[in-house]
Amino acid sequence: MENIKIDATERTPAIDFNFADNRFSLRGESYPEDVPTFFGPALSALESHLRALQAGYVEFDFELIYFNSTSAKVVMKLFDLLEKTAGQGVAVTVNWRFAEDDDNMKELGEEFGEELQEATFNMCALR
Amino acid sequence: MSLARDHYRIRKLLEDENVLFCYSGPMNEGLLPGLGQLVKQKIAVETDHPGTVQNVFSILVEQIQNVIRYATDRDASELGHGTLTVGRDGTGFFVTCGNRVENDQANRLREKLTSIRAMDRDELKVMYRQILKGEVPEGSKGAGVGFVDIARRSSQPIEFDFITIDDQYSYFALKAIIRPN
Repeated sequence: MENIKIDATERTPAIDFNFADNRFSLRGESYPEDVPTFFGPALSALESHLRALQAGYVEFDFELIYFNSTSAKVVMKLFDLLEKTAGQGVAVTVNWRFAEDDDNMKELGEEFGEELQEATFNMCALR
Repeated sequence: MSLARDHYRIRKLLEDENVLFCYSGPMNEGLLPGLGQLVKQKIAVETDHPGTVQNVFSILVEQIQNVIRYATDRDASELGHGTLTVGRDGTGFFVTCGNRVENDQANRLREKLTSIRAMDRDELKVMYRQILKGEVPEGSKGAGVGFVDIARRSSQPIEFDFITIDDQYSYFALKAIIRPN
């Protein structure tokens, strides 16, 4: 699968999906004008890639500064997908990176982290 | 009547209500980043608590996106009209937003907001998760999670109100208060 690399804008996060290395990340602000249009293609590529994996190692970094409620549905979808992937026998690590003084992002990370049982979840406070 | 006097009257009215920022008119997605950054900058001068700035900003985003998606105040270009204010409330801030809605829409909104208003923090958290996971039928076009998000970021229960304009329309206003911590 071809890697996906999209630069951040003031309202959309940087998407870096490296399918060869199984390293994925979302970084920045997320309140796109149209959430399905922005996330749709990357999300479906990731979904078909992860569904086919039976073993190996996958790492996903979330480093979001802000996301609106519509983007939150995408984050939830990604957590569900990553947990399912872990259930297929893949070693999945999810890192939630947030500014150490950002209580909102910390709380949201803890909440989303509760979705993961089989995947490894790390909260990473950034100085 | 004088132009300056009329204008000053509007300005004075806003100042008397502790409004720091007001926008009234058509709203679209293009408005959001600029207006959002402006309000962030303004609030950041007023408080040194970054979480407060972020909460004001995010409530503003949800309120404006609600107007863009649901307001029945539409001009010929189909843009929803809304009136948004951000102001001071003691040690914190308020964000209000108002727009015209159809009367039957008003009834559904009132029902939804009444139930959200009655929820405590844990119940809001559960509701937020259920909606994100698609376990709650949301009605039209994803309504609901935005209001739950607003309620979660507010420091006290959200306030809302409706007045009937005529047989067809009501005016709907929502207020959220955000305090540091």
